[in-house]
Amino acid sequence: MLVAHVRGHRIRAEELDEYARGSWLVRLDARAKLVGVLVFVVATALLTETRLVLASLALSVAFAAMSQVPPRHLAKAYLGALPFILVASASVFLFAGAERGVDMWARTSSCVLALLVLASGTETFDLFSGLRRLHVPAIMTTLLMLTYKFVLVMADEMARMTVARRARGFGGGRSLLDRRGLRLLSYTAGMVFVRSSDRADRTYEALKARGFDKEMRPMRATRVGALDGVFIAWFATSSALLLVMQLGVAG
Amino acid sequence: MHIPDGLMDPTVALTGWIEFLVVAAVALYMVRGRTSEKDIPRIAVLAAGVFVAQMLNFPVGGGTTGHLVGGALMAIMVGPVVAIMGMTVILIIQALLFGDGGVTALGLNAVNMAIIAPLSGWGVYTLLKPILAKKGDARFGPGASLAVGVGAWASVFLAASACAAELAVSYAVSGGAYGIAATVSVPAMLGYHAVIGVGEAAITVGVITYLWNVSPGAFAREASTTAKPSGLRGVLHSRVAQATVAVLIAFALALPLYFMYSAQGEDGLETVMTENGVEEGSAVLTSPFSYGESYFAALFAGILGFLATALMALALLRVLRGRESTD
Repeated sequence: MLVAHVRGHRIRAEELDEYARGSWLVRLDARAKLVGVLVFVVATALLTETRLVLASLALSVAFAAMSQVPPRHLAKAYLGALPFILVASASVFLFAGAERGVDMWARTSSCVLALLVLASGTETFDLFSGLRRLHVPAIMTTLLMLTYKFVLVMADEMARMTVARRARGFGGGRSLLDRRGLRLLSYTAGMVFVRSSDRADRTYEALKARGFDKEMRPMRATRVGALDGVFIAWFATSSALLLVMQLGVAG
Repeated sequence: MHIPDGLMDPTVALTGWIEFLVVAAVALYMVRGRTSEKDIPRIAVLAAGVFVAQMLNFPVGGGTTGHLVGGALMAIMVGPVVAIMGMTVILIIQALLFGDGGVTALGLNAVNMAIIAPLSGWGVYTLLKPILAKKGDARFGPGASLAVGVGAWASVFLAASACAAELAVSYAVSGGAYGIAATVSVPAMLGYHAVIGVGEAAITVGVITYLWNVSPGAFAREASTTAKPSGLRGVLHSRVAQATVAVLIAFALALPLYFMYSAQGEDGLETVMTENGVEEGSAVLTSPFSYGESYFAALFAGILGFLATALMALALLRVLRGRESTD
């Protein structure tokens, strides 16, 4: 079983997709999910009034609760992104006041949570297929799919090399002046590149055997149905309401 | 350096998206023309490699750690255009799947880490290598290593400078609703990343040296077998010209922010003069050039200033190198 640690998230290959399969969101068209959630994220990023930002956060939490994605998984994923959120919020909190700091935390958390539910409630390759069907260039979506696949494999390889380094007594170096430590770390990264280079050639041969021609085809081609319409309408309406109220406050 | 959703003022985020889309469209066009289908898994592996290398924390000191950005590393390995694509892919995966960096801020994150970092890193490396490395030396010697290190450091420092400027401009144009004040963001970001850049430089030099010794095929080969075009085309095809353009693009991307910020009021000196009732007198010497009020006038002035500074620096380095060899 492949276990990868990606930027603080412990991921079993296919783990994200397992969560997706347990959620009703998986039945929706990936395009509808992307459009709905992105509209909501953009609207939230435009909010500056505290109660509206908190309302947006409440909507995100409600979306997460209804999604049937395990709360524990969402909490872990949110904790992975929390350092970025906290650095931004704490800076604003310290230098622009408590209210602005809370606004920043709530606004950023609302967006992150909505995106994490989208990612967890959608099979990864379905998400990239959705981007392709929203006319993101083929070369970009193909690169996304292949890179994601390689990240899982290479992160696993990196984790094994880290264990090997620790077993030989290397604890991560002391400071930027620790030349031996930095050399060891860079050679580890270099080794990952070398080992994966052969894998790229093998992957190309395998892709070619399956008829690859510069573009990965979607695994399944879903159609936008009534449920998708309701999903988009819900996000569009709530986003529009928040923005209208924001404009009312600003006016 | 990943900017989350809701941190930046919407106009600043929109400016980032526009800049990103323009540069990404050009990069896509160039990549399509230059790559075969066999190259696509290679680019993906490289992007995944940099993604994974970003997980490798290096010690900064005092119990803190930093991590690689990787823009310069990828650009030096395969060229800036492929690096822009690869870094963009990394940022999209991080934003969509892991919540690292926002979707509305993806434009700005891409400008900082997928455009400015690779272009400036590769540009500085390419400009410095012929000066610092011994001519005809097939090895990856100390001169080339120094060029890689300076390029990697510059890539992180300039990307962090852009990020600090974006935070400051957001704060200024939104009246404090978004972003972080320049008095905080600029010294904090620049001070921290000046140190982090040293780690980036050390790791990048280490990885490049390792790959150069173990797997030289990992690097993009220059088309040395094809005849070089002559005249103006020859100049445009030269690595120095391309590297100069790369660095200029990195600087040009910051200009809209400069205008948004400067439009908010007086600069520090002007403020002090106003507060103390000092009025500006007539200049003893008047420059034939002016920054001007329009984007293109300022861009032109910036290009002239950059070229003058770069030429003086290159001349100085050549003089120093000549003196070193006679010693």
